Amino acid sequence: MEIFEKSLEHLYLVFTATVFSVIVGVLLGIIAYRVKHLDKIILWLTDTLQTIPSLALLAFLMIFFGLGDLTLIIGLVLYSLLPITRNTYTGLKDVSPFLKDAAKGMGMSKMQRLLLVELPLSFPLIFVGIKIALVTSFSIAVLGVLIGAGGLGSIIYSGIQIQDVSMILKGAIPVTLMAIVFDIFMTFIEKRMIKKAKN
Amino acid sequence: MNTIIDFINRYYKEILHYTSRHIYLVFVSVAIGIVIAVPLGILLSRHKKIAEPVIAGISAFQTIPGLVLLGFSMMIFGIGIKPAIIVLSLYSLLPILRNTYTGLIGVDASLKDAAKGIGMTKNEILFKVELPLSVSTIISGIRISTIYIISWATLAGLIGAGGLGDLIWIGLSTYSKDYILAGTIPAALLALIVSNLLELLQKLITPKGLKVKR
Amino acid sequence: MKKKLMAGLLVMVFVFSVFTFSGCGNENQIIIGTKDFNESIVLGEIFAQVIEAKTDISVKRKLNLGGTFICFEAIKKGDIDLYPEYTGTGITAHLKLPVISDTEEGYNVCKDEFDKQFNIAWLDPLGFNNTYAIAVTKEIAAEYNLSKCSDLKVNNASQNISFGGEHEFFNRPGDGFDGFCDLYDVSFKGDTIKMNVALKYKAIGDNEMDATDAYTTDSEILEYELVVLEDDLGFFPPYIAAPIIKNETLLKFPELKDVLNLLSGKITNTVMTQLNYNVMIDKQSVKVVAENFLTEAGII
Repeated sequence: MEIFEKSLEHLYLVFTATVFSVIVGVLLGIIAYRVKHLDKIILWLTDTLQTIPSLALLAFLMIFFGLGDLTLIIGLVLYSLLPITRNTYTGLKDVSPFLKDAAKGMGMSKMQRLLLVELPLSFPLIFVGIKIALVTSFSIAVLGVLIGAGGLGSIIYSGIQIQDVSMILKGAIPVTLMAIVFDIFMTFIEKRMIKKAKN
Repeated sequence: MNTIIDFINRYYKEILHYTSRHIYLVFVSVAIGIVIAVPLGILLSRHKKIAEPVIAGISAFQTIPGLVLLGFSMMIFGIGIKPAIIVLSLYSLLPILRNTYTGLIGVDASLKDAAKGIGMTKNEILFKVELPLSVSTIISGIRISTIYIISWATLAGLIGAGGLGDLIWIGLSTYSKDYILAGTIPAALLALIVSNLLELLQKLITPKGLKVKR
Repeated sequence: MKKKLMAGLLVMVFVFSVFTFSGCGNENQIIIGTKDFNESIVLGEIFAQVIEAKTDISVKRKLNLGGTFICFEAIKKGDIDLYPEYTGTGITAHLKLPVISDTEEGYNVCKDEFDKQFNIAWLDPLGFNNTYAIAVTKEIAAEYNLSKCSDLKVNNASQNISFGGEHEFFNRPGDGFDGFCDLYDVSFKGDTIKMNVALKYKAIGDNEMDATDAYTTDSEILEYELVVLEDDLGFFPPYIAAPIIKNETLLKFPELKDVLNLLSGKITNTVMTQLNYNVMIDKQSVKVVAENFLTEAGII
């Protein structure tokens, strides 16, 4: 069934991009937190990337990476960096200074402190960033059809071309549903995490 | 450097033409959004019980990909500027609405009480206390809306509305690096400039006492 | 604990998806692409059905893949093996040569150069010439007495006529809008409107514009009762349709050549317009239209 196949394709594109944007985004967030002067630049860069119109970014990337899934994934990653990077950075910064001192007092190295104390404590906020990145990627990935990538965009695009409402819906409903489902699911987990943290 | 100068020389007239149409689309859509969303936000701040469902409803709307709504709008209203502005105005509502609402309900109750105490009418409280204190948040919402609309407006070229999207579409359909750049670079610059300008406006308008220290 | 489970689940889904979609190439399969307008889709379906009927090769369809250039990039990259192309487009858009007005010469140049430069083979022409044509509403044709393109210049008629077309038409140096306006020395009213190729006729029907670049086998010309202006100065070159296929695909499946050449000459202009009509106006499915055509033509 075409809708099923395209939906899986769409999921694959969004997931792959999110995995990479988590890796790059968290790394950038850590660097922004640790290296004194880079924080402004990194935050400015990721903010700028997100301000650029998505179609423009994808078309621009197409010049270098050609048509296809790869270009879309790169675009989605760049677009998703801001929420993840900024939340990682803020999360790390907001860890209570007492806890940071306590860790230092226990003889932890900077790396140990980061991995054992600061990152775990920031995780809820980072998770929110991942959620935002994931959910918005569903919508943007629809544009993939315009640069030769797969996903539900092609059903929507065909529907618009032949002006067939049911076909547009066949593409639009799965995308919107997936976005909403993941939003609800991840918000639920997020709330559980906050509850646990409070206890 | 030479090639960039050549490029600008060759395409500047077209770029100007499409950019002005793009700005027109964005300006009108955001203006309509403000005209609808701000009063609605004020209304919702007075009726908090329905605020959450209304905002959630419009928020769900926002998850619908732009291409879809542009397609539907085209089917109902034909091709051209009108269907595009209708959809773009709808998309501009949420950030402005949400920020107006949260801005207004965030105003310190004691300030409102004090105003009531010195005899201000409800309208006076709205215009002299609540709105001025929320204006920074509202402008932030307008800024977010505008960035979205500048982005979605590039898709409007698909349904004959013109704008920088046309240059991008011509570039994509003829695999022309020149046209793609002629469309994407101005679009990106437009978004960045407008974003920074509105952020500046926000900073200037915020009364000193309320500025959040970074 | 819950966090670890979540992470594990996500990784599993990710890995599963990667395996499902990468390296998924079926050895006994070819992929057919088409451009994003109706005629191309119908042709692609016809190719697919004749191959499925006459060979053991399994066919994957990527119909409505995108515009001319998306298809060409896809075949060069190997994302598709075969798609229907037109000689006029091959010459100006892909070979980037000046327009060739002679039908046979155009075809031969395409055949030779695509083979040499891109390792792509042009199979036999399908039998029709779908060239660009300027079409106007019948009201406009009556009002300004238009029957051929040169009439557009008479009394500067074109300046009262609004023009719109698909984005691609506005950046085709040899056979597009700018060249047309240059040769006939005309300019149209106001700004030209650009839109998706599938929406042109709706725009004319809604009176958003008066003229467009039509393809001569478009059924909408009949549906909207448009008047096609004769290209008296011969600006638009012939666009002979034929299947183009990667050489390496032919090497792998040599039977494809004869099978696809069964279509040689079988699709005339009349036939193509009729097939387009069946899909666009009679609203029959592409699959059924293709099947009916092949059966009636005695091919399957």
